[in-house]
Amino acid sequence: MNYFSELLGIPVIDSTGEKIGIINDLGIATGEVFPHVTSLAFQGPGKTPFMISWRKYVDHVDDDGVALNCPSTDIRFSYLQPDEVLLARDIMNKQIVDTQGLKVVRVNDIKLSSSGENQLRLLGAEVGARGLLRAIHPLLERAVSRIAKSLGRPLSEDIIAWSYMDLLERSIKQIKLSVSHKTLGELHPADIADIIEKLDPRLRGQVFAQLDTAQAAEAISEFDDDELRSEMLEGLSDTDASSMLALMDPDDAAEIIDELDYAKAEKLLRLMGVKEEKAIRMLLGYAEDTAGRIMTSEFVALSATATVGDAIEAIRELDDDFESVYYVYTTDPAGALAGVLSLRTLIVAERGERLRDLAFKDVVWVAPDLDQEEVAEEMAKYDLAAIPVCDEGRHILGIVTVDDAMDVMTEEHAEDLQIAGIGAGDNTTGESSHTITWFAQRQYWLIVWAVASACIAALLGGNASADPLFIYPMAFMPVALLASARMVAFVKNYFLEYDRPEDDTKPYLGFFLQNTLMGAAIAAVVYLCAQLVSAAAFPDPTVLAARAFQLSALAAAGTTFVSFLTAVVYLKVLFAREERDLSTSGTALSLTATCIAAVLFTAASTMALLALVGA
Amino acid sequence: MTKDVKRKLTIGAIFGAMGPGLLAALSGNDAGGIATYSSAGASYGYEMLWMLPVMTVLLIVTQETAARCGCVTGKGFASLIREKFGVRRSAIAMGALLVANIAVTISEFAGIASGLALFGIPATVSVPLAAILIWMLTMSGSFRRIEKILLIISCVFVTYVVAAFIAGPDWGAVGLATFTPGIQADPSYISLVVATIGTTIAPWMIFLAQSNVVDKNASAEDLALQRIDAISGSVLADTVAWFIIVTTGTVLFPAGVKIADAADAALALEPIAGQFSTVLFSAGLVAASFLAACVLPGVTSSAVCEAFGWERGADRNWSEAPVYRGIITAIIAASALLVILPGVDLFQIMMGSQVINGILLPVLLVFQVRIAQDPHIMGKHRNGRLWNILTWAKIAVITVLTAVMFVLQAMGY
Repeated sequence: MNYFSELLGIPVIDSTGEKIGIINDLGIATGEVFPHVTSLAFQGPGKTPFMISWRKYVDHVDDDGVALNCPSTDIRFSYLQPDEVLLARDIMNKQIVDTQGLKVVRVNDIKLSSSGENQLRLLGAEVGARGLLRAIHPLLERAVSRIAKSLGRPLSEDIIAWSYMDLLERSIKQIKLSVSHKTLGELHPADIADIIEKLDPRLRGQVFAQLDTAQAAEAISEFDDDELRSEMLEGLSDTDASSMLALMDPDDAAEIIDELDYAKAEKLLRLMGVKEEKAIRMLLGYAEDTAGRIMTSEFVALSATATVGDAIEAIRELDDDFESVYYVYTTDPAGALAGVLSLRTLIVAERGERLRDLAFKDVVWVAPDLDQEEVAEEMAKYDLAAIPVCDEGRHILGIVTVDDAMDVMTEEHAEDLQIAGIGAGDNTTGESSHTITWFAQRQYWLIVWAVASACIAALLGGNASADPLFIYPMAFMPVALLASARMVAFVKNYFLEYDRPEDDTKPYLGFFLQNTLMGAAIAAVVYLCAQLVSAAAFPDPTVLAARAFQLSALAAAGTTFVSFLTAVVYLKVLFAREERDLSTSGTALSLTATCIAAVLFTAASTMALLALVGA
Repeated sequence: MTKDVKRKLTIGAIFGAMGPGLLAALSGNDAGGIATYSSAGASYGYEMLWMLPVMTVLLIVTQETAARCGCVTGKGFASLIREKFGVRRSAIAMGALLVANIAVTISEFAGIASGLALFGIPATVSVPLAAILIWMLTMSGSFRRIEKILLIISCVFVTYVVAAFIAGPDWGAVGLATFTPGIQADPSYISLVVATIGTTIAPWMIFLAQSNVVDKNASAEDLALQRIDAISGSVLADTVAWFIIVTTGTVLFPAGVKIADAADAALALEPIAGQFSTVLFSAGLVAASFLAACVLPGVTSSAVCEAFGWERGADRNWSEAPVYRGIITAIIAASALLVILPGVDLFQIMMGSQVINGILLPVLLVFQVRIAQDPHIMGKHRNGRLWNILTWAKIAVITVLTAVMFVLQAMGY
């Protein structure tokens, strides 16, 4: 019994086993986060409505009905309390509007959850297609959800939690969707960011406005989507935006400011305090995706001669919003990085001890222009929670903390996956492996083949003697199509495994030569195989069919070769798009290659065959 | 405008509130309506004129109830059905409404086609053009603007009044016939009576009247103004109908001309009443059909979206209300296409729609009266006793007459 619609109409049975009526409504006490069902309204014989207390009289609920704990004669009826609402009358089928008065959905069903023996709690309103279908008929819901599942798009439940719903006026008015300050304040900034990202664009600003500046700063730096980030920032006043950026970790702030246009960025920077402005400007001086850009200037460094007590005192005096402290760094008299201490070392040590006696001297550090991916790799290699970023003189510029490194890893991983043609984001869930989607993503060459075959047949159809020959190019085309798809797969692998050398030159020429050789080899194999088959199949090599067979094979081999010649273009595209920070879909690349191969092959084979019958 | 001024029943305020009821009632005089009234006049002369005062009362009851429900609850009729009667019944009602309204929209496009054909424009040109024009108008975004344009179009109904004066009837006889009921036990007379009721109080008009009021953001304080609007709209619509019957009753009935549709009527007028009345009659037909064709897709889509809780409204764009705009587009495209496509039996579609509308109307009226009676929904503005009696009487009459007509049709009359 999970849904209110399933409860409606089931019998109410007293302790003697006598059916005394059927359920027609449930009352809940408002005011709880997930309210209890408090009263049971049922229809007795002769359509008389009754209402009794749920807590007092209901023993348990199952598929057969609601069992009461006493005989019907002992029941005392009650009335609807002022703080109670009735589910069927006041909530079912009502329109839910969002905070800006736009209609969102209707309550199609209500989801309940049983807690304990005889308790029912209200979880929320089911507002999706499933609830709608179930309300029309449970069988319809089952049938449709089964069909949807077999199509690879399972119908999900759409539930709005009761805690988000705000029943403003009882009875006829609409239910407001409230995203109240209280609810948001209890959530982690990353969860707030998730919620905001999932919300309707019009709702976003509204919810965002309910956060205080510190929360907003945290939440905005948790957004995964860069565009959304700058969009949220555009919506704020300059002063608000600036003070919010000042509250953020400088590296996150730098990343956001980098997305803004120059005038706006300058304005915001000038509005914030000198200290923050300086920190952010310094970070902005480094190229994107380098250690310098993702580092934070908030770290603890003391002279090597300082004592443990000094270090602890220094940590105590930090601001509340200071980046987490994992290590304390020590510097020599010249200010260069000399050693590192973990917090544990500090806590365990005596307060009077000198830092230089405790510090670990062989510190791993990185240069500010190192690629962020490599920074993350370094941190993983040495199991560090933070890594210092230093200039040539080993002066600490900042540190890269583990949270930023993890972001880098996720980002790069998603990019790699997408280029490999798996697709990132939502598609990585199991659903995309479903047959139809899988077919569309991987086996589309069959469709390209069918379309191109139809074109060849149509082109040859104009000529009576060439007409029956279309079967030969059709048979050979898959070779050309699959070869081009393999070529793209090869390019993708090369790109993913490519390690960028220091001077950043791209090995286009070498790659081109390599592919030319490979293309020539594969084309030769195709052509020779075709020759063998032709010799076996056609005793007389001069008949029209044999000639058509050989010409088609030649066209396939030629197309394959040309495909491999173009491999370098795809590599160039991948590099160029990476530089402009655009994501590339592997499926789109190979679809392009397959289509080009199909066009080439169609043109080559039809021209050859038309020339053959013409001659 | 301050609140005090707004509450006063000044002429300005009344005109400001005008529109919803007027539009709803006038768009009821659509292609099917004109055809029905014309043939009532052509077949029975002035004998059916007495129906119009009666119909006006019934129409006022329906429209006033709709306007009142809209003002008090701020919700459309479909919303109220969904909230009071649940998913299952509203799904069936919406399904029937969708099918019936597509059929009616088809008849409007057919009306545009046949009206413009009298001016020498072929259907293959007029129908797609009209469809595009209607689509652009409904997608243009502002309810107020659409309302204004449609109200201007509805001024063309004056042509019927002019046509009636050109026909030059015996006004004394007309006046007498209007208030003397003459009932004939003739099967075709009964089916014409049913058709007249069906076209005057069409199911979609209830939705239209209520959603117009809601779209205008009228509240319970505006009730007086909206009532005036609903009543004047109903009277005006039936006056137009009355003039149509008078025209065809004066010209075609004595000549014994039988007609099948509105374009027939316009053509038949020519040899007797002169070319000018034909032009007037067909211009009226085109405008009326156009008006209803503009209104119907929106009403239907609005009702369906409301019942299922999707965003709707003329001022919502594609990304805000995709289903709403999608349904409108689909209805316009489908009905325009069916009219142009050769080999589609339009007559069968119309008959089918009449049957569905005939069953739907009493059901919707029962829904309406039960909503309007409900103190939980309507509060102190719920139906008075007179309104309840009138509505139930109306439902009874319509049900009986519709049943009789179906029986007669089944028996082959």
